[in-house]
Amino acid sequence: MIYDIRHLTLYEYGSAVTFSHCVLRLLPADGPGQKVLSSELRITPAPAQMIERMCFFGNRLTFLTIETAHRKLIVETNASIEIERGEPLNISETPAFEIVRQEAFASTFFDKDSPAHFLHPSRLAPRFEPASDYARESFSPGRPVLEGATELMRRIKADFKYDTKATVVSTPLSEAFGKRRGVCQDFAHIMIAGLRGIGLPAAYISGYIRTIPPAGKERLEGADAMHAWVSVWCGEARGWEGLDPTNAIMAGNDHIVLAKGRDYADISPVAGLILGSREQDVDVKVDVVPRA
Amino acid sequence: MSLSAPDQENADCDAARRMAELAAGYKPLPGIPDEFTGADGRPRAHWLRFLAALTELSAGDIGKRFATADRHIRDTGVSYRAYGDKSERAWPLSHLPLLIEAGEWREIAQGIEQRARLMELLLADIYGEGRLIAAGDLPAAAVTGSPEFLHPLHGVKPPGGKFLHIYAADIGRGPDGRWWVLGDRSQAPSGAGYALANRLVLARAFPALYRDMNVERLAPFFEAFRFGLTSMAQRSDPRICLLTPGPFNETYFEQAYLARYLGLLLVEGGDLTMRDGKVHVRTIAGLKRADVIWRRIDSDFADPLELNARSRLGVPGLVDALREGGVVIANALGSGVLEAPVMMSFMPKLCRTLLGEDLRLPNIATWWCGQSAARRSVIAGMEKLAISGAFGNPLPGFPRGQSIVGAALDADEKRRLAAAMAERGVDFVGQEVVNLSTTPVWHEGRIEPRPFVLRVYAARTPEGWSIMPGGFCRISGRADARAVAMGEGVQSADVWVLANTPVAMVSLLPTDETVRIRRIMGTLPSRAADNLFWLGRYIERSEATLRLIRCLAGRMIETGAGTANPGTALSKLVSLLAAWHAAPSEAAASSAMAFAAIALHGGEDYGSALSLVRDARRAASFIRERLSPDTWRLIGDLDQNLSIDVPRPLAEAEAFERADAALRTIAAISGLAQENMNRGAGWRMFDTGRRIERGINTCRFARHFASGDAPADDLDVLLDLVDSQITYRSRYLMGVALSPVRDMVVLDSYNPRSVAFQAERLDEHLETLPLLSDDGMLETPRRLILQLAAEIATTTAASLNNEKILGFEQSLLGLADAIAARYFLQGPHVARADKSSGLA
Repeated sequence: MIYDIRHLTLYEYGSAVTFSHCVLRLLPADGPGQKVLSSELRITPAPAQMIERMCFFGNRLTFLTIETAHRKLIVETNASIEIERGEPLNISETPAFEIVRQEAFASTFFDKDSPAHFLHPSRLAPRFEPASDYARESFSPGRPVLEGATELMRRIKADFKYDTKATVVSTPLSEAFGKRRGVCQDFAHIMIAGLRGIGLPAAYISGYIRTIPPAGKERLEGADAMHAWVSVWCGEARGWEGLDPTNAIMAGNDHIVLAKGRDYADISPVAGLILGSREQDVDVKVDVVPRA
Repeated sequence: MSLSAPDQENADCDAARRMAELAAGYKPLPGIPDEFTGADGRPRAHWLRFLAALTELSAGDIGKRFATADRHIRDTGVSYRAYGDKSERAWPLSHLPLLIEAGEWREIAQGIEQRARLMELLLADIYGEGRLIAAGDLPAAAVTGSPEFLHPLHGVKPPGGKFLHIYAADIGRGPDGRWWVLGDRSQAPSGAGYALANRLVLARAFPALYRDMNVERLAPFFEAFRFGLTSMAQRSDPRICLLTPGPFNETYFEQAYLARYLGLLLVEGGDLTMRDGKVHVRTIAGLKRADVIWRRIDSDFADPLELNARSRLGVPGLVDALREGGVVIANALGSGVLEAPVMMSFMPKLCRTLLGEDLRLPNIATWWCGQSAARRSVIAGMEKLAISGAFGNPLPGFPRGQSIVGAALDADEKRRLAAAMAERGVDFVGQEVVNLSTTPVWHEGRIEPRPFVLRVYAARTPEGWSIMPGGFCRISGRADARAVAMGEGVQSADVWVLANTPVAMVSLLPTDETVRIRRIMGTLPSRAADNLFWLGRYIERSEATLRLIRCLAGRMIETGAGTANPGTALSKLVSLLAAWHAAPSEAAASSAMAFAAIALHGGEDYGSALSLVRDARRAASFIRERLSPDTWRLIGDLDQNLSIDVPRPLAEAEAFERADAALRTIAAISGLAQENMNRGAGWRMFDTGRRIERGINTCRFARHFASGDAPADDLDVLLDLVDSQITYRSRYLMGVALSPVRDMVVLDSYNPRSVAFQAERLDEHLETLPLLSDDGMLETPRRLILQLAAEIATTTAASLNNEKILGFEQSLLGLADAIAARYFLQGPHVARADKSSGLA
């Protein structure tokens, strides 16, 4: 399946900005089951300098320097991506979670996919005992890791209410957990914190899902904005598997990966546009259209 | 003075007796090793030598010298801030040094040098090839668990090729008599500046003792450190900055002190900006390259673009500048990863792998519970161990903090801990419990044992690591403390490394050929300019307010009235003070002297003398390294003398005297600025602030007390306020009259308090300050002041009226804005004293 993606972000400021350094994480990269056919970034006003780098986790970073005075910044990404993911893992064939845990502790790998990077608390997925306790319920001794993780994902979908008014980007995980409400970002962070709390590596994935559902299927939550889900490590032999707690489904051919990190803070799409105490107005539009 | 032979004998006898008493009264703690008492139970020779020299002084003399040391600490402002403190505390210095003799020191120094080499290789591997992890010598999860392991820095080769430039280890002597490493400081070790301050204080209090004990000097170490930083730069005359988190940091005093001592530019994140892969300081002369940054901020805060996005302490784009090789940072960002206690468990083996040597100084035996076998033995042996967070993290489920002793846990807690370790063993280490040795402290005329921790420093030089012969010693307030942080009851001590032979006075003076003569210390950073300007303004505004209060009290004494009747000069003084928010005008209704008491000592009204002085002090605190200790002390005195509770109303004479005393202190500050401050851009900014503020205030005085229909009494008050009574009387034999008074106060450029005089000085300052471009055009502030000066110069006394004076005042306000826009930092990262007090 090939998707055409258009992602538009508009920033408006109360007063003119004369100089700004920022980092964008808005260009998709190739990955397992995902090939980027084309991608481009258009920025208004035109930056004085634009450098692209690959970050540790394999995401594409764009460093911008804007020296033109502006009150409005428009960032537009256009990309075409081919998705062809294989069958998801057979959940009962994954190793017992205790084995996965010990493998992660002892890992001698340090590349971007090493479980070691996703095992410990991080800025937005800190250690939070209630989330660990919540996750632990799905992992009876000896249970295959993906079986437990899938159950945890379903429980989150069942116990938490999708509510775009309940939280904002900066709402801490503990608050969303307490309210049992939130959006994809909150659910992903809660699931990640829970899994790591019992010693299992989990990563935060940001990306898109198709806007218009295939005929006869329901429209998925998060389709008109950026989406987020979780990738769970299933041991050295099996590797990573994507789970979407917002929709209680495995990440499949409807999920397009933009970036992977320990949590949202690692991969927030735009960093560096801080302008004093007044929050700037941000407007985001996302279209994900499958080619016929 | 010399004693006769029998007296001398008596004195010697007396000294010997007192020394024997001191030594006999010292009782080491049972089972704990001690610095004073050797393993054989007898006092060590070097301590006896020290006591013998000390007791040559009479008991009274010793007390006096201790008092001198304490006063010296207070006077020089040696201070620290415990975490969460609002104000700084004076530094508690133990009156006795920690003594370490030469042979023992050699072993310590070699051990630290080896550990510094090891640390460098470890960082290079962790952030580079990763061979240790791939080979299984260092588990990946033991690295990634540290919040100081920073992914964006992986693969970034530090410009200059080295990660570590200054390293420190906390060490202590264990029961076996050996020194043990308790912890590593690889991020931004603090304390070296306090060690230096402690040395100055103690050496000054006991100069003969210091000389006779052959104490190794500290200065060569600092010189080596500075040279090491300089040699990392790519330019021959590099700009080296000390990057501070700011005055609210615990160790800001030390940072300012070291910046001054080493001649580094003290900067905050907002002072720096990244352009084209290089880092620059924002100065009043535009952007100037920063070559080397010694950082005292934690790595995570260094760059909001790629590290902690919420940080306001860092420099956006700094990590990218490192990738481009555009700036050297000491220590490299992310070097704090080695401080995690988990690292200690791998150190003995890593030392053999990387250096082919055994550790010269062992570290505390440590087991990481991320490994199954180690976890099992820690759980089994919990009773004898301390359990700590592997990454300095608090222990989950144990509110007692980062370290607990297994023996102190009950059965249920032990079960809980074992369960937590089984689930996330990676978060825990078990460590051997070591009782640290004790050293003597002076307590009420006796010496008593106290546990201590010693921090030893290593600095990189082109010739290898240089070890500071001495260190930063923290002594516990209690007899049994294991961890000694700088909190309640903890003292620090100077550390004397004793050479076997007299220590030569090393001359640090460089030879003529190596020194380039310079008269101006670099360019003035914009933030410093800002704070100097506001320091000037606040001091001047304090002075004006105090003059109003003094004048008010003086008039009250003369007239004997209790309240100020409407229409009188007195009521005008009150209304002006009220308009400046020195005190609420309602307070004056019942008693003018109650009003005066608030205007002097009230902390709530933002225009009171006290509030203004506090604002001045805050502005000064941001630029402490640029002020002489005397100036800092005078500003402190001013604050202290006004921060008192007084009866309301205050007696007229007392109010007069208090205002007068404060004005004398301000006169001393002005004198220091005129006579002692280098005539660089810093002084000009400070004086510009004063001149603008004085110009504005004088305009206001003139409009208030010399309006068209002003009675003679008002004019008289005005002459008082601007200190011109004597000049006026000598110049004009008739009484006070409007035109001559206005001329003297506003237009007379010979009068140093007139508006005209301020305008001329302002023009001189602005003419001297650097230009941003060489196109020959006037910059806005200069254009404005030339205009104003010309206008004042061409105005005649006869044509002067309140409207014109108001025009001058507004021009000065406009000039202040133009100066801010041209010279100071603009934008979100501005760090400066809060200008909440409503000064225009």
